[in-house]
Amino acid sequence: MSDQPTDTPFIRFRHVKKGYRIGGEAISIFDNLDLDIPRGDFVAVMGPSGSGKSTLLNMLAGVESPDAGEIAIGAARLDLMGESARSAWRAHNMGIVFQFYNLLPMLTAAENVELPLLLKPVSAKERRIRVGKVLDLVGLAGRERQYPGLMSGGQQQRVGIARAIAADPDLLLCDEPTGDLDRKSADDVLAMLRLLNRELGKTIVMVTHDPQAARHARRTLHLDKGRFTEEREAA
Amino acid sequence: MSFFRLARRNAWRKPLRTLLLIFCVTVAFLIYGLTASFLSGTQGTSAASDDLLGVMSAAGRTQALPMAAMTRIAAEPGVASVAYTTRMRGYVTVEKNVVAVSAVDPAQITKVNGKELGLTPELVSALGEARDRVLVGRALAQAQGWSVGQRITVTSFQTARKDGSRDWRFDIAGIFEGETASTDTYFMLANYDYINTARSRGTDTVDAFVVRPAPGTSAGALAAHIDAIFANSATPTRTQSEKQFLEGFLRQYADVGLIINLVIGAAFVTLLMIVINTMMFAVRERTFEIGVLKTLGFSRKRILILVLGETLFLFALGGTLGLVLAKLATVMTGPALGLVFSTTVLAKAASLIAALGLVTGLIPAINAMRTPITTAFRAR
Repeated sequence: MSDQPTDTPFIRFRHVKKGYRIGGEAISIFDNLDLDIPRGDFVAVMGPSGSGKSTLLNMLAGVESPDAGEIAIGAARLDLMGESARSAWRAHNMGIVFQFYNLLPMLTAAENVELPLLLKPVSAKERRIRVGKVLDLVGLAGRERQYPGLMSGGQQQRVGIARAIAADPDLLLCDEPTGDLDRKSADDVLAMLRLLNRELGKTIVMVTHDPQAARHARRTLHLDKGRFTEEREAA
Repeated sequence: MSFFRLARRNAWRKPLRTLLLIFCVTVAFLIYGLTASFLSGTQGTSAASDDLLGVMSAAGRTQALPMAAMTRIAAEPGVASVAYTTRMRGYVTVEKNVVAVSAVDPAQITKVNGKELGLTPELVSALGEARDRVLVGRALAQAQGWSVGQRITVTSFQTARKDGSRDWRFDIAGIFEGETASTDTYFMLANYDYINTARSRGTDTVDAFVVRPAPGTSAGALAAHIDAIFANSATPTRTQSEKQFLEGFLRQYADVGLIINLVIGAAFVTLLMIVINTMMFAVRERTFEIGVLKTLGFSRKRILILVLGETLFLFALGGTLGLVLAKLATVMTGPALGLVFSTTVLAKAASLIAALGLVTGLIPAINAMRTPITTAFRAR
């Protein structure tokens, strides 16, 4: 797998408009937003609260639709898909890492990781093998049967990452993945994301408030009032 | 892990709540199993025949009919066979231990109703060997602990002997099984000649004639025809099928079927309300996690199936437990109550388990399915 992003945009936003109505008042979040992210890139998105980071991530995940404009990820036009199609697309093409891990407490680490694989035509045996591999990859081999409640924040986030990559998606979306972790755990998680990008070629979009976290990305986009105001290439 | 296992894990998230829900379902299906077994059993009318006709006095069941009427009934073209019977009710040892004796002609009753009662040639022959012999139904024999060769005394409530005594002594010649588990075998068959000769009143009269219509003859039309024959006689008749007779008999006390259906209905409506309410609450508690599952790619349909699977699991477990208890109860109460837990009862109960599981899960499942991911994430 190449460790450099390709030139062809993998994620493409064209003239994207998005707004909400709050208390009868129309609030515009994005107005004619354009964005290109090539395949294999690792992009950090930073910006103040209310700048539209979460909305951007939601639209990338197909959780929210744009009011107008075009959102394409690979060959898929998310803006043209219905909810069922977007669910199916998410199941096969995207993994998501949450700030607070969002693991299901009544399932073991292995069962949490297995969840996305239930949506794929994979046998139980293959699922077990795949779960073992990704837990090994995130350094949690031997903790398959442990419940999230008995794990540290760092370990839970590793399970979250394992769950996100279990179905081998091309795109990883990370919503403040280190926001709830101490520095050491945060660095471990970021190193892991970097590894997934460099070694496995995953395209990663990470929303973060933490400049140190952003430094692990290949480039950082600054979002303010619905516009990207700055772009910085990583050293 | 599978979807079913995921649903099961969700169901056991709060074990006490789940156990209480299962207990509710168990009790409801225990009630259902027992009441349905009652209706299916000998105390109900489901096993009674629509084809077998009973000819009784129009003045009431206790009014006798002359034996001579039998010749006229047997001569009718639609009649395949006919038998007479006189019913004697009494008790054994203590007054509460009520038994019924049907005084019959063994050969005739075998021809009309022998198959349903399970009367074999050996049994009929044994009954005929002495006048004071009886054949006891399996249910009655089990309830009383009687065996073949035993001598019993039945003290009749109304039929007195010529010497003034109301004690009738019988030798048990055999036990008849009944064709199916639902066949009423909680009575005994005695020789009509023995009782007729010895009784102080009502000689040569019978309580009823049992008529088997000829193949192709409408039982209803034949019943109307028989009643028409005797309409202007000294003893007008009322002819009904066995089923009609039993239903009418039970309705003298109350509409048993209606009462049972109301009891089952009330139990199930209460159950539905409890389970729907609890499931709504349980699913609302998990709104955030449902949002997570949707983000991972679980479609609306899969979320719907997941919640429905959870309620189906609760109903399957509780329902099965309730039905097992009902089955055990029917076995343990013995034949005296005449409860029959038939395959029909089981099939209906299984359908109810599935239907109620789906109905109760539907509202919470639709709510979960419809909740947008962004709304679900705000529920944390």
